[in-house]
Formats: sequence, C-alpha cells, structure tokens
Amino acid sequence: MAAIAPDIFFASISELNAKLRSKEFSCHELTQAFCDRIERIGPRYNALALSLRKDAISKAKDVDRELKRDRTRGALQGIPYGVKDLLAVKKVPTTWGAKPFATQVFDYDAHVIERLDKVGAILIAKLSMVELAGGGDYRTAAASLTGPGLNPWDRTRWSGGSSSGPGAAVAAGLVTFAIGSETSGSILTPSAFCGLTGLRPTYGLVSRQGAMALSWTLDKLGPMCRSAEDCGLVLHEIAGVDLQDPGSAARSFNYNPKYARKPADITIGYMPVDFEDGAEPAAQPAFRAAFEVVKSLGVTLKEIKLPEFPYGALVGTIIAGEAGSIFEEFIRSGKVDQLADPHQIAGLKAMLDLPSTEYLRAMRVRSLVKAAFHDLFLNCDMVLAPTRLGPANKAAEPLDAPGPPTKSHGGLIPGGNLAGLPALSLPCGFADGLPLGISLLGRPFYENQLIAIGDLFQKQTDWHRRRPPMEA
Amino acid sequence: MELSRRQLAGVILAGTAAAQAPAPQPPTTTQSADTELETARSARRTAAQIIARVPLPMTVEPAFQFKA
Repeated sequence: MAAIAPDIFFASISELNAKLRSKEFSCHELTQAFCDRIERIGPRYNALALSLRKDAISKAKDVDRELKRDRTRGALQGIPYGVKDLLAVKKVPTTWGAKPFATQVFDYDAHVIERLDKVGAILIAKLSMVELAGGGDYRTAAASLTGPGLNPWDRTRWSGGSSSGPGAAVAAGLVTFAIGSETSGSILTPSAFCGLTGLRPTYGLVSRQGAMALSWTLDKLGPMCRSAEDCGLVLHEIAGVDLQDPGSAARSFNYNPKYARKPADITIGYMPVDFEDGAEPAAQPAFRAAFEVVKSLGVTLKEIKLPEFPYGALVGTIIAGEAGSIFEEFIRSGKVDQLADPHQIAGLKAMLDLPSTEYLRAMRVRSLVKAAFHDLFLNCDMVLAPTRLGPANKAAEPLDAPGPPTKSHGGLIPGGNLAGLPALSLPCGFADGLPLGISLLGRPFYENQLIAIGDLFQKQTDWHRRRPPMEA
Repeated sequence: MELSRRQLAGVILAGTAAAQAPAPQPPTTTQSADTELETARSARRTAAQIIARVPLPMTVEPAFQFKA
C-alpha cells in the first residue's frame, strides 16, 4: 500500500482528484488512510458519530476499477467526505445527535448522498451534531449525544454548531469536505469557528429529502470545505431538482467560474460599524484587514443599512411553530426529557404553547423581510460582514455567557436565513489564535458569484490553507 | 439552528445600525426544569411582543403558498 503523505489530508478536491487519476495512490489506499485518521483523531474532537469504513472501502474499490478503465465521473470521484448525522444513510444509525434517536435506522439514503454516490464520492463517516440541530435553543456545547464538539484549533473551544462534527472534521483533515445543514447559522458558525469555507445555498437549491427536518421553511443543506472552489465543486453535484422535497426550488446549479462577472462590475454593500469597532476587540484588526483585501479586489464597496427587523424573534418564532409540529409527538411522549440540554428540553416543550396567530404573524413579517432584502439587492450585488463577531466560545462555559461588548447589528445570519438567501463564509484571520470568518450574502441563486469573489479573496490570502496545530 | 434565543434576544435589543450598548445577559446559573420551562415560555412571549410591534398591513400574506 502506498503511504499517504500528511499533506494529502488537507489537499483540495481538485488536487486529490488529480492524484487519483494519475495513480499516485489508489482510491482504496486514500479511503483507508482517511478512515484510519478519522477513527483515530475524530474522537479527540467528538467529531465522529459513526465510521462507515466497510462500505467506504467497498465503494473505493469500485472507483479504482472505474479509474482503471478511465471511466471518470467528475471532480468528486474518489474523494472522501462526511455528513452531519441528520442525513439518512441506509441501514446504519442516524441519531440526529440525540439520545432518544440513538438507534434510529432508515432504509434509504438522503437525496444528497445518492447524488454524491452517483459521482463516485466516498462517504466515510457520519459526523456529530448538536442534538436535534439545536432547535429547542441549547445553552451548552455538550448538548449532543457525542459530547461537546471541540475545536481542532484549541480543544478548550467549541467547534460551533449545530454542524459541530463537520466543522471539526474538515478543519482537522479527517474528511476532504462535509455536508452540513443550516436553519439559522449552523453551517456558517462552525465554518467561521474552525477556519473553513462554508456555503449556505439558496433555500430550495439542495434537496432536504432524507435530512431531519427542524424547520421546513428554513432548513438548508450545504458544503463545508477548505476553499470556495471546493464549495463550488460540491454544490455542483448536490444541487438540483428533487420532486420529493416540497421546498425544492426546481433550479439547477452549474459551477461556472469562467462566467463570473468581473470584480469591477460587482458592488458589495457593508456596514461600517462591522469593520470599525463593531466586533469583539480581539477580532477587529483581522476584520479590518479582510475588508482591505476585499477592497483590493477591485470591487465597488458601498455603505448600506441592513433592513430593520427583529430577526432573532422572527427566526425563533418560526422555528418554534414548525419544529413544535415536527417534534410534537416526541415532546408529548416525554422522550424529550432524555435530551442532554435542559434548556433545549424546555424550549421544545414551550413550542407546544405557541399560538398559530404568532407563527403566522412571524411568517407575514417574513414576507416584508424578503421584500426588504430584495430592495437591498437592487443597490448592491452582495453584502459583506463578519460571520460571527468573535472567535469560538469556550466549550465548558454556557453559550450565552456574557462576552466582550459588541456594537454590530448581528442580523446577517438570521436575516439571510429568513429571506432564504445564500451566504459564503471565508476564513479571514485569527483572534487569539482562533479562526475568524467573513461572510458574503447574495441574492437568491447567486452562488456562482459569491464563490467567484470568495475564490479571488482566497487567491490573495492564505487563511484557508492554514492548519490547526494538532498532536500527531 | 445556531444562535440561542438569549443571543437572538440580545441582537434584537441591541438595535440596528446605530451603536447601542448590548442587552444585559441573563444569569447563567442552573435552573430547575419548571423554571427552565417558564423561562422558555417567557422568551416566546417576549418574541411575540417584539414582532407585534412591526407594522403589518392586512394585505401581507405569510411567506409560503399553497397550490392545488
């Protein structure tokens, strides 16, 4: 067996694919090495929910047979990846990160996994998550069947949530990419905290079929990778029509970097406070420097004002209405009491008291939010803001413990999710040795352009190539 | 979902583009199940009150559509 050099675990999709095609190593060898690594190192960060070694090796051998016959399927062929454990994988436990569902098994694969399987990507693991994607409002990083997601950059810090395992696994080179999910922040936050490039697609672009539903109108699946280009390559394969998903946008996505508009034709809106003194003090220099890099790309930067709405209250009420219905039987049965986080248990129970008028009012105000963001994007092509205002929380402390004061609006994550808009989080530096991310929020189906600007940013910086200081 | 209700409540109270002091954070002591439930219900009521202050013309429909 060829030895797999350590750099391979942090290689891009294109680099790995090229090495497989040139037979520098076989897919079997690569998959075995990644499986060994994730089984050995994954538990260090509570990132691994379940290794899928046996099926992965079998699939890898199929890929090797194909490559031997020069039967190529695209950039993801032979690439090892993981999925957040809310995605169904046939005949193995899909736990949703929650003790009451620890032995739950489905007899089908989620749609995105079927798509990735068709192009020869190798699923090697289910990755850990916050229980039930944190829908009941969790207070601690330990709100998970597998324990707190720990950050490969500093294991006293949280890897973020609710896609905790995907965040840690990609950052630590345990998988080349992962599929996470976001209802309000669950792709972008672990991406920012772990130094990844994460893409939350437009609502409906990627099928939710086979994924645990938390909120029918807010849930999205998306790639968590180490570069904007990799996000484009993954989205190219997972996006598209699925009639089994009632929320499917019935749109396809083709990753077309050569058709992206020139930077000089792009206007990026921003709120000055975000890049002055709005963020946590330790993070401000990195955000200012990132702003200067974006400016240097040749885009037009324009001061904007984010539409004024109570984004947090709206997201919370909509999730309460929808998750309360989705999990109604679970809550009423009392099984909810088996969850790890008492705050989340209470939050789920309280959902059953929500009057329908409150949910509907929130959904009506949401129409105003959509219209306001539509108007915002008449005057700019995308919005730039810090993904989170500071680095990762300490894993042992409550997530709502008071942090340094901040002045920024903080509405880009909930507002963007309410309006169903795509966003790309890019690593942009460090604060106290911990990664930071900035986000580009775009109009619906603007992913190619977001990725193009993200790629340009990453050609000017190397934050996305940095690796956490891991023990051997 | 990522942001907790307390964090989201903090975002709401902090206002919009104007620089304002961040909302005071609730105490982080362990609470009984009943207290947690009442806290959660209270957060829901607070959210409803905040949303109720948004001017909402009668003609605005919810952001979902049914099609036969």
